Amino acid sequence: MKAPPFDLVAPTSIEDAVLALAAGADRPGGVAVLAGGQSLLLDLHHRRVRPGLVVDLRRVPGLGAVDVHGSGVRIGALVRHRAFEDPALVPGAVGRVLPVMAEHVGHPPIRELGTFCGSLAWAHPTAEWALLAVTLGAQVTLRSAAGTRTVAAAEFSTGPHATVRGDAELLTAVDLPLPPPGAGAGFVEHRRTEASFAAAAALVVLEVGDVSVRACRIGLAGAADRPVRATRAEAVLTGAPVTAESFAAAARVAAHEDADPRAEPHGPVDHRRQVLSVLVRRALVAALDDTARAGGEEAA
Amino acid sequence: MPDHAGPAGGLTRREDLRLLRGEGRFVADLALPRLLDAAFARSRVAHGVLVDVDVSAARQVPGVLGAWSARDLPDLPVVPPFGQPGVAEGRDWPALADDRVRHVGQPLAVVVAADRYRAEDGADAVRARIDALPPVLTPQDALSGPELFPGHDNVADEAEFGDPVPEEVWASAHLVVEGRYRQQLVSPFSMEARAFLAVPEGEQLHVWVSHQAPHRLRDNIAQALGLAPDAVRVQVPDAGGAFGSKSATFPEYLVVAALARRLGRPVRWIEDRAEAFTAHTHGRGQDQRTRLALDADGRFLAFELDVLANLGAYPHTGVVVPQQTALMATGAYATPHVHSRMRCVVTTTTPTAPYRGAGRPEAAYAVERTVELAARRLGVDPVQLRRRNFLAPEAFPYDTPTGRRYDSGEYARALERCVEALALDAWRAEQRRRRDDPAARPLGIGFCTYVERSGGDGPMLREFGSVEALADGTFVARCGTSSTGQGHETALAQVVADVLGVDLERIRYVAADTGEVASGVGSFGSRSMQMGGAALHLAAGELVDLARRRAAQRASEGGALVPVAGVTWTTGRLDLGGGQGIDVGDLVAATGPLRADHEFRQDAAFPFGSYAAVVEVDVELGDVEVLRLVAVDDYGVVVNPVLTRGQTVGSIVQGLGQVLYEEVPYAADGRPSLDAGLFDYLVPTLSEVPPMTLEETVTPDPGNPLGAKGAGEAGCIGVPPAVVNAVADALELDDPGTLQMPLTPAVVWRAAAGAAS
Repeated sequence: MKAPPFDLVAPTSIEDAVLALAAGADRPGGVAVLAGGQSLLLDLHHRRVRPGLVVDLRRVPGLGAVDVHGSGVRIGALVRHRAFEDPALVPGAVGRVLPVMAEHVGHPPIRELGTFCGSLAWAHPTAEWALLAVTLGAQVTLRSAAGTRTVAAAEFSTGPHATVRGDAELLTAVDLPLPPPGAGAGFVEHRRTEASFAAAAALVVLEVGDVSVRACRIGLAGAADRPVRATRAEAVLTGAPVTAESFAAAARVAAHEDADPRAEPHGPVDHRRQVLSVLVRRALVAALDDTARAGGEEAA
Repeated sequence: MPDHAGPAGGLTRREDLRLLRGEGRFVADLALPRLLDAAFARSRVAHGVLVDVDVSAARQVPGVLGAWSARDLPDLPVVPPFGQPGVAEGRDWPALADDRVRHVGQPLAVVVAADRYRAEDGADAVRARIDALPPVLTPQDALSGPELFPGHDNVADEAEFGDPVPEEVWASAHLVVEGRYRQQLVSPFSMEARAFLAVPEGEQLHVWVSHQAPHRLRDNIAQALGLAPDAVRVQVPDAGGAFGSKSATFPEYLVVAALARRLGRPVRWIEDRAEAFTAHTHGRGQDQRTRLALDADGRFLAFELDVLANLGAYPHTGVVVPQQTALMATGAYATPHVHSRMRCVVTTTTPTAPYRGAGRPEAAYAVERTVELAARRLGVDPVQLRRRNFLAPEAFPYDTPTGRRYDSGEYARALERCVEALALDAWRAEQRRRRDDPAARPLGIGFCTYVERSGGDGPMLREFGSVEALADGTFVARCGTSSTGQGHETALAQVVADVLGVDLERIRYVAADTGEVASGVGSFGSRSMQMGGAALHLAAGELVDLARRRAAQRASEGGALVPVAGVTWTTGRLDLGGGQGIDVGDLVAATGPLRADHEFRQDAAFPFGSYAAVVEVDVELGDVEVLRLVAVDDYGVVVNPVLTRGQTVGSIVQGLGQVLYEEVPYAADGRPSLDAGLFDYLVPTLSEVPPMTLEETVTPDPGNPLGAKGAGEAGCIGVPPAVVNAVADALELDDPGTLQMPLTPAVVWRAAAGAAS
């Protein structure tokens, strides 16, 4: 568990960073970006990656901010997981669910160093932040020496530890749209120990009217090789009465139609579907409870 | 008697200040001039013909001093077997793979470089050509499959204990229950993986190693390298855990020792965590079948245990384990007929070896799961059923049908204490309440009463202790045991301080150094206090007698007639009567070295205890939450309760690991599915530790001068059956055959779904 040889540069501006990436992209083994290092160092030590060059982002100014604006939040490339433990960081349903999700990211030392954007770039198939980004319909900003482009979060990851980001591109920020006031959010995760990755997780954002579901977003982790929206379950639930039966029906659709899980050691497919169904149902209940909190907050 | 009262009535560990300050000295901390690092290129193929190992590219890597395959080192010795030499015949274990590879992780070549980074770069560049053969991953497959060592049966060893149960006993019994249990393969997982440093010093070889049995290792290395035993010195510095897995003489040790001599430079191999998953040994790995016959009153008539054990690729290290399981098949019960049989097979998994408990957890599991299954079938309280069948205190010493002589025990007392500490009635009431509430998560209570063996067997039932008085008034205690983190500097020195009546600070404890300690067996099988402590206790007493005789003689030479009986020892001073006396340090200064050696021998001891677990099951997900654990252990007389408590807690957590989380899962291609390391192989951490109550009973060991039995392996014996029994109770499973360890959510969900349908 010792890293293979690599060169290291620590640029002090975004411009220099993307130039370094462009230069490193042609090297054997390519180039890697170091932000929090919580995944990259492990991959290096296991020799799962062998970049010729590592670009250390930590001296680049302007990447450490969380900017809340009217309809969304912009998260810079150096924002640590720990920032999201603060319930006052972001308003509304997303602000309330972020600390719940943050608690499931690694453990405290990892949250102190690891970054939100780094997690997206690493693209673990059950990562909490990728689930959040996909569920909310986030936009990922990629910058290279050639210019800047944005990619929808749902299009960003193409599988386990694979994304559309080119080696010469730097993930500079993620924009999370925020649901309207009154919405509730619920997140439930299944993992075997406190230090484990999620085996599966469900994130729900729910808007309810007097008797029926006005709108919903249901995101699943552990249902495919990347986080996905449960669009069929969303369609079943939208307009349905706010009842335990509707929730259970949507959960079944999510687990059996939207999800396409693969067997893993200790995780046969039938159990994974069962878990997803239970998680979606419980996340819906949690989101419904949260809409009550939303009402309270807005009244206050 | 000096005051040893610490926070919990025992001394806290005097080694902790050093360790907590980061001042511990482990093998990897030993900085030597011209030190080289070794790394091994290892097989990624489970089984195959090794056609070629090409180390030429490795030799070109900058910083690499050399790279060798088996072909380059024709004089490399084979790995010596441990326990039963016969099993190695025809099944040579080469230090580097020669014609075959037999498990993923087997060393193919070694690379030596100026540091571990460059050594790994070199190991990366080694190329092997292997013509793959089908892997053999389970004991059952080994029974039916082709011979892995041509000309030699895959069954490397088999034995039976006790007389076969007469057929009419089964036929006429009121009830016969049968169980099938699987002990999964687990990784022993010490914080520090293996570490070995060989330093050539002229014709001598000085070895620093994280190890449990330095004297045996010294003999093995000397013999393998063709050296006299005293040409090799083996020393164990601070060590970060072993749990039974650092007791053998491993292939890597022989390679590194040979290279250090060949290169004339210190060479070390510091195994890393990822490497250890496949390169180090596994623990457990048994398929078990049980049968228990009872009469209408619930009395046990007969018990039968059949063990089919996986030894892994080579039988050398694991063969001693399943025999322990079979020998301990009697459990805590007065069952008139007990018969056990064990067969050990070679496969193509990583070799197995003793792991904390080493055969006794497997035995207790088989017995205690079957006992609770019988209770459920009979509809009787499992506590009552045990009470009815326990060996009575007056039955000891008891010769079990399977060939053990139990020294002493009060099994019912430990169970009563467990039931009280648990407040069983309150939990049963809560269980009933939940059974009436469809929304409540089911709750279950499970027990385990275990008997285990400590001290060792056969030639290992001895230990060396020595106490020397120095002229400066201090003492040196030397012992043949080897601490890998248990706190011997405190506990074993404390034994000596107690006899001498002096402060602990005056005792320097020396162990695990073959250059300093004349002989030794080591630390495994919960033997250090029972065997080493007793040896030191007796040696210290002999030192006092020697000092008294010498003081009397000296006084007599000076003209005064002092009988030995007139000399008393108090706190390191010899009182000659009449106001005359001499400090022992002055006596040494005046008369020369004063030292007593003792080789202690004793039969094995049999600690015991009762465990209870309360669990809650989320039947929708299959999650098990342990709400409460109660452990009542009887280690005989406890010398240092702070240390035994630490041993119990650590062992309990490892038991939780086996029952809920841990397994080395082999894929069909023969590779363990552990690419993500500790994200795949889950070990419990502080977050997974449930509320627990630890209590003890004390039944002194009749054959031990301290009254001590072994401590240290109880938790991982008691916890797994208690937890699985509790889950079976929660789910009201009549046939808990579906509940096999580890109790993953998928396993529990399936069992719960089966029970509901």
